Amino acid sequence: MGPKEDYAVPLESDVDKQFLAAPVKSVVDKFQLLPEFLKVRGLVKQHLDSFNYFVRTEIKKIVRANDLITSRVDPTIYLRYKDVWIGEPSMTIDGVTEKLSPHKCRLSDITYAAPIYVNIEYITGSHGQKTPPVAKNNVIIGRMPIMLRSCCCVLHGKDGAELARLGECPLDPGGYFIIKGTEKVILIQEQLSKNRIIIDTDKKGCVQASVMSSTEATKSKTVIKMEKEKIYLYLNQFANKVPIMVVMKAMGMESDQEVVQMLGRDPRFGALLLPSIEECASNDVYTQHQALEFLEKKVRKSPFSNSSFEKEGKALGILRDVFIANIPVRQSNFRAKCIYVAVMLRRMMEAILNKDAMDDKDYVGNKRLELSGQLLSLLFEDLFKTMNDEVKKTVDATLAKPSRSSRFDFSQFIVKDSITVGLERTLSTGNWDVKRFKMHRKGMTQVVARLSFIGTLGHMTKISPQFEKSRKVSGPRALQPSQWGMLCPCDTPEGEACGLVKNLALMTHVTTDEEEGPIVSLCYCLGVEDLELLSGEELHTPDSFLIILNGIILGKHRRPQRFANAMRKLRRAGKIGEFVSVFVNEKQHCVYIASDGGRVCRPLVIADKGVSRIKEHHMKELLDGVRCFDDFLREGLIEYLDVNEENNALIALYEGEATFETTHIEIEPFTILGVCAGLIPFPHHNQSPRNTYQCAMGKQAMGNIAYNQLCRMDTLIYLLVYPQRPLLTTRTIELVGYDKLGAGQNATVAVMSYSGYDIEDAIVMNKASLDRGFGRCIVMKKLSAINQKYENNSSDRIIRPQREGHDAERMQILDDDGLAAPGEIIRPNDIYINKQSPIVTRGAIVPPMGLNDKQYKPSRQTYKGPEGETAVVDRVALCSDKNNNLCIKFMIRHTRRPEVGDKFSSRHGQKGVCGTIIQQEDFPFSERGICPDLIMNPHGFPSRMTVGKMIELLGSKAGVSSGKFHYGSAFGEPSGHADRVEAISETLVKHGFSYSGKDFIYSGITGLPLQTYIFMGPIYYQKLKHMVLDKMHARGSGPRVMITRQPTEGRSRNGGLRVGEMERDCLIAYGTSMLIFERLMISSDPFKVQVCRKCGLLGYYNHKLKTSICSTCKNGENVSTMKLPYACKLLFQELQSMNIVPRLKLTEA
Amino acid sequence: MEGASYQRFPKVKIRELKDDYCKFELRDTDASMANALRRVMIAEVPTIAIDLVEIEVNSSVLNDEFIAHRLGLIPLTSDRAMSMRFSRDCDACDGDGQCEFCSVEFHLRAKCINDQTLDVTSKDLYSSDHTVVPVDFSDSSSGFDNTEQRGIIIVKLRRGQELRLRAIARKGIGKDHAKWSPAATVTFMYEPEIHINEELMETLSLEEKTSWVESSPTKVFDIDPNTQQVVVVDPEAYTYDDEVIKKAEAMGKPGLVEIYAKEDSFIFTVESTGAIKASQLLLNAIEVLKQKLDAVRLSEDTVEADEQFGELGAHMRGG
Repeated sequence: MGPKEDYAVPLESDVDKQFLAAPVKSVVDKFQLLPEFLKVRGLVKQHLDSFNYFVRTEIKKIVRANDLITSRVDPTIYLRYKDVWIGEPSMTIDGVTEKLSPHKCRLSDITYAAPIYVNIEYITGSHGQKTPPVAKNNVIIGRMPIMLRSCCCVLHGKDGAELARLGECPLDPGGYFIIKGTEKVILIQEQLSKNRIIIDTDKKGCVQASVMSSTEATKSKTVIKMEKEKIYLYLNQFANKVPIMVVMKAMGMESDQEVVQMLGRDPRFGALLLPSIEECASNDVYTQHQALEFLEKKVRKSPFSNSSFEKEGKALGILRDVFIANIPVRQSNFRAKCIYVAVMLRRMMEAILNKDAMDDKDYVGNKRLELSGQLLSLLFEDLFKTMNDEVKKTVDATLAKPSRSSRFDFSQFIVKDSITVGLERTLSTGNWDVKRFKMHRKGMTQVVARLSFIGTLGHMTKISPQFEKSRKVSGPRALQPSQWGMLCPCDTPEGEACGLVKNLALMTHVTTDEEEGPIVSLCYCLGVEDLELLSGEELHTPDSFLIILNGIILGKHRRPQRFANAMRKLRRAGKIGEFVSVFVNEKQHCVYIASDGGRVCRPLVIADKGVSRIKEHHMKELLDGVRCFDDFLREGLIEYLDVNEENNALIALYEGEATFETTHIEIEPFTILGVCAGLIPFPHHNQSPRNTYQCAMGKQAMGNIAYNQLCRMDTLIYLLVYPQRPLLTTRTIELVGYDKLGAGQNATVAVMSYSGYDIEDAIVMNKASLDRGFGRCIVMKKLSAINQKYENNSSDRIIRPQREGHDAERMQILDDDGLAAPGEIIRPNDIYINKQSPIVTRGAIVPPMGLNDKQYKPSRQTYKGPEGETAVVDRVALCSDKNNNLCIKFMIRHTRRPEVGDKFSSRHGQKGVCGTIIQQEDFPFSERGICPDLIMNPHGFPSRMTVGKMIELLGSKAGVSSGKFHYGSAFGEPSGHADRVEAISETLVKHGFSYSGKDFIYSGITGLPLQTYIFMGPIYYQKLKHMVLDKMHARGSGPRVMITRQPTEGRSRNGGLRVGEMERDCLIAYGTSMLIFERLMISSDPFKVQVCRKCGLLGYYNHKLKTSICSTCKNGENVSTMKLPYACKLLFQELQSMNIVPRLKLTEA
Repeated sequence: MEGASYQRFPKVKIRELKDDYCKFELRDTDASMANALRRVMIAEVPTIAIDLVEIEVNSSVLNDEFIAHRLGLIPLTSDRAMSMRFSRDCDACDGDGQCEFCSVEFHLRAKCINDQTLDVTSKDLYSSDHTVVPVDFSDSSSGFDNTEQRGIIIVKLRRGQELRLRAIARKGIGKDHAKWSPAATVTFMYEPEIHINEELMETLSLEEKTSWVESSPTKVFDIDPNTQQVVVVDPEAYTYDDEVIKKAEAMGKPGLVEIYAKEDSFIFTVESTGAIKASQLLLNAIEVLKQKLDAVRLSEDTVEADEQFGELGAHMRGG
């Protein structure tokens, strides 16, 4: 990031004078901007903005672009869409329209969607009885799933109390959809920039320039590649590579000289192009006509020929519509396209001559994030077009019929199901199939992780990669310097998706599309020379810069810095959109202006000659509430910079560090981290991978999920009984609301060795602490049952339980309505719903209540929990599902206290299981009477280097003794958002502790003082969802798989413990043949078989004759009995069925 | 070893005594004795706590187990506990709360009928036995304004919510569950013995003395404003942190002060949960300790004792 002259005047030799003349700096605490920013933009603002843009603008554009349906039979019969908008979320059942609230949808498994209204104008009647156009308003064409908290959502603009009334958690960020009761989030998709020239090398090392063109009509990929010194075009529509000079000629640039001129004066460029020109000549292509004929031969033959191409030849059509499709061709004027190709060639040659000019695909500025709005608009467009086609087809079919009974009414042909169903299906499966663009993407949506509050937030900021995860490349996985401030450097999963799945940082914003028209005309006003008026020679004069807007070359400008400054000034004044970026690329002699959607950007404080524009009084006004974040933006104190424009800025971390060249100042350094990493106190003191581990573990921590957690009916909920807010907090924690929905407890930790049950990161826990509620958690599981209706109009029924008889005991928890009562203790094998199903479900219709008791069979549902565990029925909910069947849901609650083997973790990636639980009196104690809640082995520290954890301990200890929360925000020491160790130590000493946080401790067992001082204090500990109770498994004998008669697999099926290949290898090596024999056969699938010694095939035992018989030899003379694994016998039979005869040869052993 | 007597005559001096707080010195004994006392106080002095809860109606936000757990942790006045029976040993009943020897029944009925949040506290628990009631902290002369405080909050109810339950309290010990532990804090420290090397001290300037005095995180030393001599103001404030010794070494004056822990003298701090008075806690602890020793001694000639206590039994029999 070099300083550029637009922001700073070049320094004169006498620096001091200027320095002295500069205005006096004052360090202003800009932190307050952050909560304001989050208030305005929110944590999931990118999703909401994108969806709002789609709903407000994009959908109207789509409908306007496809607004006319005309009948093919009678072109005067038409239907025109006048307007489109999304209504309020509601549902219509049996003609009654009911407003929807998100929580209602969650509970009753319906989709949170709003009707899509259109105003239409159409012709009724046909064949001479046509009426003048009729208008009809408020026609519903389908239902659009609504993103929570978007402008269409009922929650929009509601305050906390109103949200609570709707059953919604005020801290819930929104940004997801509710499809059939499940919350689905459309992941942010990372992609390479569309419509931009990317120079890189292919697998063979050839330099290539590629453009992914994307317009409303087409998507294509154009590659120009230098192969063996000659330049070729690769395009899917051409069967093989095409010499680039032929393409140029085909586009009307017949003169070689003109092409060379367009590349620029540099003789090296000419030299590089020479082989291509020669090749073109050797192919006898000199004129446009010849070139087109040449290309015609290369066109890939497609089975469906398009009629529009036939007239003027396919090649020209391809060049016009597919080749670099983002450059429009108006009235067969190919000049813009020629210039674009020339620029591509020029950049390629620059890259060949100088490897530094190569583009980096992993550079964040070359990437775009695709958000839910864009993805939905793709989908909606496709569905809308399909619907219109269908309407057209049915209309044509009806009109073609000679006589009709009723009057023709165009508006009645609009079907509303296809859009509703299409949207719903796509969102619930996550499979985007848009045939027009050959788009088949899977896994675009995910169920919102509701394990912990922070997990939910983290899920909303997750960016999923475009690459397949299996690729063994390090480039895209590595941390990019350009990610700074935009993407969290810590939050990425471990394993195969490492570095590919990313998360947004706290202040990142993702742009939406912005109108290009005004920017184009503005550019021309500011002195951009139009491309049309320039000759090839003029294009690349050394002092001129090309002006490129969203990948389209507008023209050139002789004073790029002036131009850029003017643009920026206009942006700061609010005359053009705040997210328009202006980037002067000195190397490429270009000014890039971007207004497209999907760029990541972040707000920065503008500084003039190193002096922040934000002054004390601004911040005071902010605190007093008379100024908001948008005011800062409007007045040009703050602006958004995207990754490219950051390269033109010199950004100081702190105001104090700003120099004369500084153009921007960071708002707060800790905003480079995301939500999950923001929980870690003092992360800048930790070894980096530890922070990454914590980011993954924070999502598994139990705690409070949301304020409405007890009203939710999720399949699995983990809650902590006494969650706390951390004693050592960070600013991020307060900003995201983790202090209100914490997931952990402040445990007093002694770092010492105790009892030997603490090796390998195990922790020793105090029994008294557990008795008093430490780590106690509630696990809630959902059980559901459906009262099914059948074909013959009969249905399941739920009946009063038997109070006597042999089943009465299992029905104890049932109420008189046949359902388990809330508050009852439910044990394994208890019946929770006394349901009966009709025996006959098909055939003739039976009257609803016409079946008698004998025509039902019991289909009770029993609770299958772990033996010995007592759970409680928490809630019972009744609702109707989509087929209007009665659906009964039970929430089963189980309270657990920690036991040996449960997993705990601090906020520093230090996980460990509970190794043993020890009585309080055996625990060490200090002379103040402090007794730790848990003991951690000191060996956890040296190799992990989590110094942050030590500082957390110190800080929390000072916090409890002084009665205030201490802070540990990332990089927060200089700005006062993290307490310094010196200050913490001072507090400790003031309250009578050692400055080092170590205490003098007595052994609880002997009462003698320990030989050393013990580092002891509170650390925030998280209980993770992995608990022994859910995992422990052992089996003696049990169920077997039917086909092989071998034991089943997996804990859920009470499966056996497998002696696998490697275990078998060990046993072989050890020579324990009997053990192998036992494990592999006796305790698996032994089977007695009769083998014929003569033919070697299997016979059978005839129980009547009490002899063994070989069915092949038809006698029982040479039959022996032996044991075989059943799977082996099965194999023989299967082989025989495919005409392979396995024969056993027996010898005496 | 034969014939050697380890008998000592420990002395107890009570320094401070309040209902729920006690500070005393224990002298002329060793750490094993002091620690045994501490351990018994925490884990083996019986109290009464709610052990069984039958919930009739619970429409509060907290679930049944949650409330039951909270009820269990409420300290109940347990002066009767020593004379009560463990319900498992009770022959009069099967521990279902019908028997006055082993259990006490509580009732709680609360319903919120207006718009103000109703705090259900330990005061709402009605006991069947007036000697076993939730501990009342309001009369403690701690100086707080206790008019607002209504006991320990169990749950908060909003309009329309109701809680009705029956609870049975039983005798138990802290070893089984921390709710039966009568002690909030039991800790002891060795009494420190501090010797200042006056000669060496006099070589220090006043500034050096002040910095040395301030190096201790607790206020152990002070400077006499008149004589400007360093004096020990509160030896027991010393936390064995060695800070002053390290400081002296850093100042180049090792041996400026010598601090020893007296190995036969302990200062105990006992804080009670309120279930029994701190003084009674100590007495009960000694009683329990005696009973334990009696149990060992009485079983001296049984064969089981030999198996049970092994060498200890042999030792006690003088073998």
